[in-house]
Order: sequence, then C-alpha cells, then structure tokens
Amino acid sequence: MDFEFSEKEEQLRKEIREFARREMAGRELITGLEEESRDEDWEFAMQMSRKLARKGWLTMAWPKEYGGRDASFFEQHVYMDEASYWGIPGMQMGVSGIGWVGQSLMLFGNDEQRKKYIPPIAAGEPDGVWCTAYSEPNAGSDFANIQTRAIRQGDEYVLNGQKIWTSCAHRARWCWLAVRTDVDVRKKQHGISLIIVDMRSPGITVKPIYNYAGVHIFNELFFDNVKVPVSNLVGTENRGWYQLMQSLAFERHSVAPQFYGTAKRILEIVIKYAARTKLHGRPLAADPLIRHKLAERAIELETLRLFGYEITWKLSKGQIPIYEAARNKAYCDFVMQRMAITGSEVTGAFSQVDMWSKWAKLDGAITRLYMMFPGMSIAAGTDEIQKNIVGQFKLGLPRPY
Amino acid sequence: MDFDLNEQQQMLKTMAGDFLAHEYSKARVKELEKDSLGYDPGTQAKMVELGWTGLIVPEKYGGSGAGLLDLVILVEEMGKNITPGPFFSTVALCALPLMKFGTERQKGTFLPAIAGGQSLWSLAITEESGRYDIRDINCRASLEGDGYLINGTKWFVQFAHAADYLIVLCRTGKEGELTTFIVNRKSPGVKVERIPTTAGDGQCKVRFNNVRVTARDVLGRIGKGSDLFNYSMQTGAILKCAEISGACQAVLDMTLAYAKERVQFDQPIGSFMAIQHKLVDMLTEVEGLQYMVYYAAWLLSSGRKALTSISMAKAKAAEVYQQICIDGIKIHGAIGFTMDHDIGCYFRRIKSAEFMLGGRDLYLSMVADGIGL
Repeated sequence: MDFEFSEKEEQLRKEIREFARREMAGRELITGLEEESRDEDWEFAMQMSRKLARKGWLTMAWPKEYGGRDASFFEQHVYMDEASYWGIPGMQMGVSGIGWVGQSLMLFGNDEQRKKYIPPIAAGEPDGVWCTAYSEPNAGSDFANIQTRAIRQGDEYVLNGQKIWTSCAHRARWCWLAVRTDVDVRKKQHGISLIIVDMRSPGITVKPIYNYAGVHIFNELFFDNVKVPVSNLVGTENRGWYQLMQSLAFERHSVAPQFYGTAKRILEIVIKYAARTKLHGRPLAADPLIRHKLAERAIELETLRLFGYEITWKLSKGQIPIYEAARNKAYCDFVMQRMAITGSEVTGAFSQVDMWSKWAKLDGAITRLYMMFPGMSIAAGTDEIQKNIVGQFKLGLPRPY
Repeated sequence: MDFDLNEQQQMLKTMAGDFLAHEYSKARVKELEKDSLGYDPGTQAKMVELGWTGLIVPEKYGGSGAGLLDLVILVEEMGKNITPGPFFSTVALCALPLMKFGTERQKGTFLPAIAGGQSLWSLAITEESGRYDIRDINCRASLEGDGYLINGTKWFVQFAHAADYLIVLCRTGKEGELTTFIVNRKSPGVKVERIPTTAGDGQCKVRFNNVRVTARDVLGRIGKGSDLFNYSMQTGAILKCAEISGACQAVLDMTLAYAKERVQFDQPIGSFMAIQHKLVDMLTEVEGLQYMVYYAAWLLSSGRKALTSISMAKAKAAEVYQQICIDGIKIHGAIGFTMDHDIGCYFRRIKSAEFMLGGRDLYLSMVADGIGL
C-alpha cells in the first residue's frame, strides 16, 4: 500500500500551479462549461487552450505523433485535478475533441481523418473545437433509441433529424454525430453509425437552449437534408454503438479528478470566507454547526479523492474500470450538491446574487455552483443510470429495466 | 501509488478470515453475548498461537514486529467476522501505547506476556459523561508515601473482568494534570462490574477505591497523560475504523446475497431499482470507508501527519456503519429484525464501535480544526 505521487508527478503539479497563478491572476473561478456562454469568456478560454497546448498539457495522454506526450495515467490525473482546482478555462475546449474524438479517431478513424482532424485539437485551435450530437428528444437515457437518419446517396450521406442538449454546438467547427444508418435491425443498438459533420454545412440549424440560470451551453441541432461525404464515416457503418461505448471510456477516468479539483477549490474558499466573516461578533468558522457541515463536506471530498486515485491506479495496471467510473460520477454529483448547499448556507443571502455581479461573494462561485449542479448531475448519464450500471456490473444484479 | 495489499498481508487476510469464520460462527457469537466471560478462551489461545497478539510487538519483546498496516488488515477481518474478546483492548488499546510510552523495564515485562498470551489488558479512560473527552476525567491519583492512591470510576472498559492489567487515565498534582498508570486489575480496591450492553460485548464499569500504585507504574511521564490520550485517538481509532470497515463489508455481502435469492412478485428483489440503488449506495460508502481507512493508516504508519485523516475516517465510519445496517435490515425485511438472523449481531454493536475512543461529534470537530476552521 502506498498513496504517494512520484516526484515527476509532483513537479508537474507545481508547474501547473505556477502557470495558473501567472495566467489566471485576477480572473474569477470558472467551474465548468459556462465558458461557452459569453463571447469574452470563450475568447479567453481559447487563448488558454493554445497556451495549454504549447505547454504540452492539453492532450498530454495522446501519443507524441498526435501532438501528445504519452503521459502516464497518474500525470493525467495530476493535470486534471490541478487544472480544475485553478479553474483554467479552455482545458476542455468544448469537451468532445479532447474528451473522446481524438482518441476515437486513433482507434477507429482512417489515416486521412487522423491527419485532418487531430492536429487542430492537440494545438488548441478553434478548428479543433467539436460538439457531440448523441441525445435526441426521444433518446436520452435510452440513447439507442435515436432516430436521426443518414441515407446514403452515391458518395454522400443525407442527414435529417434533430439532436438536443448538444453542448458547444454554437462554438464548434465539427460535429461528432451518432446517426441511424439502418432501420431494419433486430436490436436498436445495431444500425447506428458515427459520422463527422462540418458545422458550416448548409441545412444545419443551431438553436440555443438557455439553462434556467440564463447560461448558454447546450443547443438544439437540426439537420435538414445536410449532405456529408461518405469519407466522413468513422470506422464501420452500423457499428457506431460499439465504437461509441468504447469512446465513452475515455472520459471515465477524468471525471473524479476534475470534480475533485473544482470541489476542493470551492471548499477552500468557503472555509476562508467562514474564517473572515463575522456573525454576532464571532467568526462563522467558530460556529459548531458550520464547522460540522464543512467537516462533513471535507470527508466527502476526501472520499472522492481516493475514488479518483483508485481508478487511475487500476488504469495504470492495465485494468478497464467500468463500474468504478459510474460510481464516481454518481458520487461526484452527490459531492457537488452537498457542497453547493453548504456553500450557500455559509454565504447566506449572497448566494443568490448573480454570478457575474460586482456584489457577488467569492467571485460568484457559490451562485454558479448552485445554479449548475443539477445540470452537471444529468450530463453524461443521470444518477439513476450510473447506479444501474454499478448494480449490474459490480453487484451482479439483474437489469431492472 | 498502490492500493494493493502485499503478499504477506493477503495471506494474513485469507487465513484470518477462514480461521475466524470457523471459530466464531454467529451462533457461537450469540451464545457468548450471554456468557459470563463473553469470549472463548480456547479460541483466544489459538489466536496467540497464530502469533496475532504479538503481531505488532517488536521481535526483541517476543513479537514478530509487523507494521500497523498488517494489524489493520487483521482487525478488518475481525470486524468482518465478529470476534468477541479482549484482543482489541489488549493489542490495539494497550500494547501500542506500551510500545510507545513504556520504559524499557515496562516493555520488557509486559510486552512478551501480551505476545505470549499470558496477560490481557484494557484501557480505562471514559467516565460518567460516557464521552472520550479529556475535560471529563475526574478519576484522581493522589500522592501517598512513595506511591499514589487512585480513586474514581471508569465506564465502558472493554473486558475489564478478564483483564490482568488496566491502563488508567487519572488527574494528579495540584493542577490536576493528567497521568496514566498501569494498574493490576486484581489489586485491592478495584471493583469490576459488567455493563449489560446491547451486544453483551464485555464492557465494564470499574471502580477504584484507594487503589495503591507506585511511581514505577506510571506509563509515560507524570503530567503528560494527554499524550497517551491523543495517541490512542490515532492508533486506537484507526484500528476501530478498520474493524467497522470489515463489519460494513460483511453486512453488505449478506444483504446482497439475500437480495439475489429472495423472490417476490416472481423475481429476485435485487432486480427492483429501489433495492438496487440502495445496495449501490451501500457499496459506495463501504468502498469509500475502506480506502479512507487504508489511506489514514498508511499516513500514520509511514510517519506522516495523520490526525485529520484518521478523524475523517472515524467520523465516516460511525455514520456508514449505522446506515449500512439500517439499509441492510430494511432490505432483509422482517427476518432482519429477528434474533435468528445474523445481521442483528452487527446492528447491536453499532454504538459500541461508534463511541469507543470518541463519537462522531468529537472527530468532526477535529476535522474542522484540521481543515483550517
């Protein structure tokens, strides 16, 4: 048993910390995908993406030939955790490209696709910004239900249908699309394909969906006779579901360290706030109720940290964590929810002040977290879906649906 | 980074699990809850033969000099398979402080006897308040000739009726500073009464009426009894956490097995989402607790600062143990509420484990201190 990071990993942490202090001076904490909403935030995020790329961090896990540096799982862990702690914008770059498109192309794409699409992602360029179109109005948790069609006509696919909850579609240069290429199948998981779509194609309409906080992250995406060259098919036609399942694994190990980094930062600033804020002449930090609540949050956060380590350690030993990732996602959501609620109790009525207002406490971090956590818990699979996965794969219980 | 047990730990775990399941069936555990001694001396003797009482005792004192992590693995198995008896009080609560604070003479006298199974020990700290709180210590050791006279009452002392020696925390001197003493349990003036507890797990009330000890019986330095108090708060607490973690794993295992075999509405109840998600929540907490215990024990055993992590583990353990048992019983339904079923054995022990060495409030407060509040 040994829970220590190597010297190399600690050195990386130090470099990221120095980078963040220098580059983020005077910047507010961004806790997630809100950077996609306002133009000025997005612009800054893209500047940072390029800088992260130049540092060799943006896609550090990738092989050198694709613009990465063959970083170990533990190095990636440190990067995810530390960069999230500092809330460095641009580290996600719309999520898809860095999250799974690059690695999926390495696995299933052809040489031409790899040469064309991977370098801009690794360089942190706007041409490397992707959105992912999976969900549809009738295909949420039951995602194999998708109905958007691609019909082959000569050298082209003709796309028709509608996607929804498409994050970053309004910023993306390319779309990673799951689409039905065959309707005459025994199982609905068959007959799905992955196709790359140029977001500038005629017939595409992006319609913003504002979340209840007024933040623009996701969109509706309409395809009206959109023509795509057949060469944009990724991998094998009608095998998209299976390729996609494998690609989902890429984002697994990053969930816990990312959430952990963010949550750790928030807990720290809330603790500092409690220490310097007085109530009836006494610091809030001396109030037993506040102390106990924050101590409980710290314990949950510590649990999350160890869950993150566990996955990284298993990956480093060549294992493929399945249930662990689902467990971690559900636990992340639980941690964020409790942190948001306790944070709002500590900051009191100020927890409702607009996140971008000059009167917001803690740079609006608590308002932002509070407004965002229900959405984050639904993204990438709801709590219930995650727990079904754990029940099936770890506990060996019958599928309940 | 490495979450794995080493080969020796893996062997110890397997061997301990098999041995305990064989020696202490739940039927036997239930019998012993009503027994006047509360454990099986025959089994205790076999544990000595297996080298468990000397596991962490240094070789020069007749032990095998293993590390704290090894003891954590063993105690986790003892928690998984409820193991009645004075092992915990002797080894976790007394041998470790003796190793840390004992004089050469004390170590040379007492540790070989612990390792060899000739003597049993217990730790007497908690008093009338029922809490592990230094402010509540009133037991007094007054100077008398070349020694001390101890007067006072200690509560919830594990297996004091079977112990040969007690480590007793007392007030001494004008300022009432704290000092710990080694007291022969058979000394005149020591009166032990069993407290009838929910688990019948051998906890006692011990009265000291003019009990004479000498200066050579002081453990550690005079006036520095809080050192032992704080030390046990780390070593004792993390081992208690390991025991709880094992118990939680056992409750999860038996509940999961039941959810797979119990059929209602023509299907195993484990196929219902309401049951399944509860089991997943249980698993998450059990795994989280186990990692936290290992992590804190690793910090402590490698000489790093561990107090905050141990406090986190103890606060979490208290909560998780309780919740796992409640959910486990609910999933079992009415059968889980019977004496015949085994899950109650774990439920009956919740409060014993929770409050030994301090409850959740104490440790949450220590966590708060540790995170800068």
